[in-house]
Amino acid sequence: MRAKLIKELPLHLMILPGLIFIILFSYIPMSGIVIAFQKFIPAKGLFGDQKWVGWDNFEYVMSLPSFTQVMWNTLFIASVKLILGLIIPIIFAILLNELKNQVIKRSIQTAIYLPYFLSWVVLGGILIDILSPSGGIVNWFLDMLGISKIFFLGDNNWFPFTLIGSDVWKNFGYGTIIYLAAITGIDPGLYEAATIDGANRWHKVWHITLPGMRMVIVLLSVLSLGQLLNAGFDQVFNLYSPIVYESGDILDTFVYRIGLLDAQYGVATAVGFFKSIISLTLISISYFLAYRFAKYRIF
Amino acid sequence: MKSMKSLWFKGTSIVLLATVILSACSGNSDSNNAGKKANSSNTPTLLTNDEPLGKYDPPIELSFVRDLNDVVENNVLSVLEGETIEDNRWSRIYEEELGIKITYDWIVKGASTSDQYVQKINVTLASGALPDVIPVDATQLKQLADSDQIEDLTEIYEKYASPLTKEVLSQEGTSPFDAVTFDGKLMAIPQLESSIERSMYIWIRTDWLEHLGLQPPKTIADVLVISKAFKEKDPDQNGQDDTYGLAITKDLWGGAMGLEGFMAAYNAYPNMWIENGDGELVFGSVQPEVKKSLQILQAMHANGEIDQEFGIKDGGKVSEQIAAGKIGLEYGEQWNSIWPLQLNRNNDPNAQWQAFPIVSESGENPKVPLKFSTTRFFAVKKGIAHPEAVIKLFNLHLEKNWGESAEFDKYYAPPEAESVWQLSPVTPYPAMKNVDAFRAIDAARKAGDTSGLKGEAKTIQEKLESFKSGTSEGFALWGWERIYGEQGSMGIADQYANNNQFLMEKFVGAPTPTMVERKSTLDKMQTEVFTKIILGGSIDEFDQFVADWKKLGGDQITEEVNEWYAAAK
Repeated sequence: MRAKLIKELPLHLMILPGLIFIILFSYIPMSGIVIAFQKFIPAKGLFGDQKWVGWDNFEYVMSLPSFTQVMWNTLFIASVKLILGLIIPIIFAILLNELKNQVIKRSIQTAIYLPYFLSWVVLGGILIDILSPSGGIVNWFLDMLGISKIFFLGDNNWFPFTLIGSDVWKNFGYGTIIYLAAITGIDPGLYEAATIDGANRWHKVWHITLPGMRMVIVLLSVLSLGQLLNAGFDQVFNLYSPIVYESGDILDTFVYRIGLLDAQYGVATAVGFFKSIISLTLISISYFLAYRFAKYRIF
Repeated sequence: MKSMKSLWFKGTSIVLLATVILSACSGNSDSNNAGKKANSSNTPTLLTNDEPLGKYDPPIELSFVRDLNDVVENNVLSVLEGETIEDNRWSRIYEEELGIKITYDWIVKGASTSDQYVQKINVTLASGALPDVIPVDATQLKQLADSDQIEDLTEIYEKYASPLTKEVLSQEGTSPFDAVTFDGKLMAIPQLESSIERSMYIWIRTDWLEHLGLQPPKTIADVLVISKAFKEKDPDQNGQDDTYGLAITKDLWGGAMGLEGFMAAYNAYPNMWIENGDGELVFGSVQPEVKKSLQILQAMHANGEIDQEFGIKDGGKVSEQIAAGKIGLEYGEQWNSIWPLQLNRNNDPNAQWQAFPIVSESGENPKVPLKFSTTRFFAVKKGIAHPEAVIKLFNLHLEKNWGESAEFDKYYAPPEAESVWQLSPVTPYPAMKNVDAFRAIDAARKAGDTSGLKGEAKTIQEKLESFKSGTSEGFALWGWERIYGEQGSMGIADQYANNNQFLMEKFVGAPTPTMVERKSTLDKMQTEVFTKIILGGSIDEFDQFVADWKKLGGDQITEEVNEWYAAAK
């Protein structure tokens, strides 16, 4: 046991910086969760004589008139983003992998990866221009096709899908790269053997590529489920406006306005805590299911 | 800048920038102090330290915290040799003349409204490790006062504030002191921000007016005619239907492209607390006058005078339309010629804008609504040896800039670094100073001799002359000429002041408990409903909004506000 520990000491030391980081920035600040159960007044100090209010902050948020609407928007936008954000990169990675011409493959890879580096602040301005019903290029194109104009950012029926679409477009390049890496790790011998056995391209994708990617897919799915209540603050904040509050106001923007702008730290913490509990539950369940059905374990 | 909350990021930074620039170009006091010495080494008369400008011997230390904004960093410290944020002409004069050595517990990069600064202040308050003097907003001040961590300054202020300080801080009535008085005790020194600077004007493209043979507006009906003509009559003469009437943004309110000045025509004063006939405070947004102005806006929108997509565009986006010459009419504050209108001028040297006084339905002078804009208060930590020291800093700051011994060109805005005044931890200024500067310049202009101008007025006059010279450098100063020139917006501020048109916000206390809990919900509802009505929704939604507003906390807030009002009277 001890000999083993000494032998593996370098490995343990390697994990140390990460551990210290997590203790400093994740575990120690957790004590701040107490704020969720207080009527927090900064001037009295973090562990000063604050008034304890039990579950009041949680009840207050849930009693606000638009809470159910906001909750629904969050779940809807986040879950569709989640599903599409998983599927589209997989399809794209497989398609890219089938390309023989390395130059084309690389340039497509770069092109779809680029939007990932743009901030939503910049993209927000660009999207308002290109999606504009009067003079935006997208609507001009729809007009050419004889489709009536769509007010993507100002119509409650369209707004959630505009959010989902632009988010997937921005991030799928990044996901694609991860899956491509996973595909690269598959033993080429398997493909050669399959060719000898008379498998066509489709067979190979179905029986070799996809099973080879399975672990990465499961891992990313498990991790992304924890994001079910994160519908993307940056994006929504830069794109929404009062006319689409009813379809686009999400938990994060909602809390930003009631908690931070009006300095209700107790309320903001309560919602953050609530989100963390939900995320932890979902991750735990999905991790357990992944083990049961795909024999996947991280530890 | 609580009053600017509706104009979030861009708006706020622009306003700040403008405030910074414009306060850097402010007036000198009218003291005809011709005997000002050329050299600055005036021999101080011997004073004991009990006097407003008395010196501590030995010197004392006084700790502050502060922000370090881009202007100070890039336009002041980087051009001044041998001065740092800790050691500069202001810190030196405070030490030399008052025996007060200023130290900073921390300095955060960014404006005083930036997230990092606000968070740092909150953390400081939460940690309990307060500096001797704490710059706070109304909410933080209330918390400090409630938790008994700061000094009662009532008697200290009376005793130590110089006559000039008392005069300057009372230039806008009692409201700044109402804001910092708790149970009859003065708990902080308000750093008065001029509300008058927040006055609204109608900014119109006069080259378009001339093309169409229209006159400047006398009543709101004229404004509507101009808006219609700017939409329908091709004011830019490019043969296309691509122009709009009135510019508005998704936020509806704010210092540029806001609707406050438009609604004032109908005696509607949204987002502020005003007195009704019975001497009680009521919230302007839920008064019937607002309904009427919304109906007018709805009709303008239906006619295409308002951009059909205004509901998703913020001030930055709408300013792009103005810059592209698509809009020729907007309501905003005196600095609008610098932003966004200068952008239009840069693109099209023939574009000409001018500010006009806001108008009413009848043609009589309308009230000009002014939100309370003082948001910075200096509280003093309980138990420090010299709680009066901060008041002495106020005294000297005002004295060196606008008093008898003023050295404006050294301590306020020397040409090489116009924001030197910001190096001081306290920066009070006379509320009317920009109007005063305009008056001085205007009088000199009319007399045909501008050589006697000094201080701020002189600095501005140089800018005006640079613009007149027609150089490319002067071209960029068009925005200034539109503020201080013969047709400048400041001239109208002067007129507003002379006609007694200002309507001051009456509630200036910290947000009440229900306000803290409900304000954002009510704000959200208001913006949603108002926007929907303008976009063509039923006007009856307004009545529903009023009922909902009352039910969801509005009535409660009104009660609390009136309790505060009764106590503050």
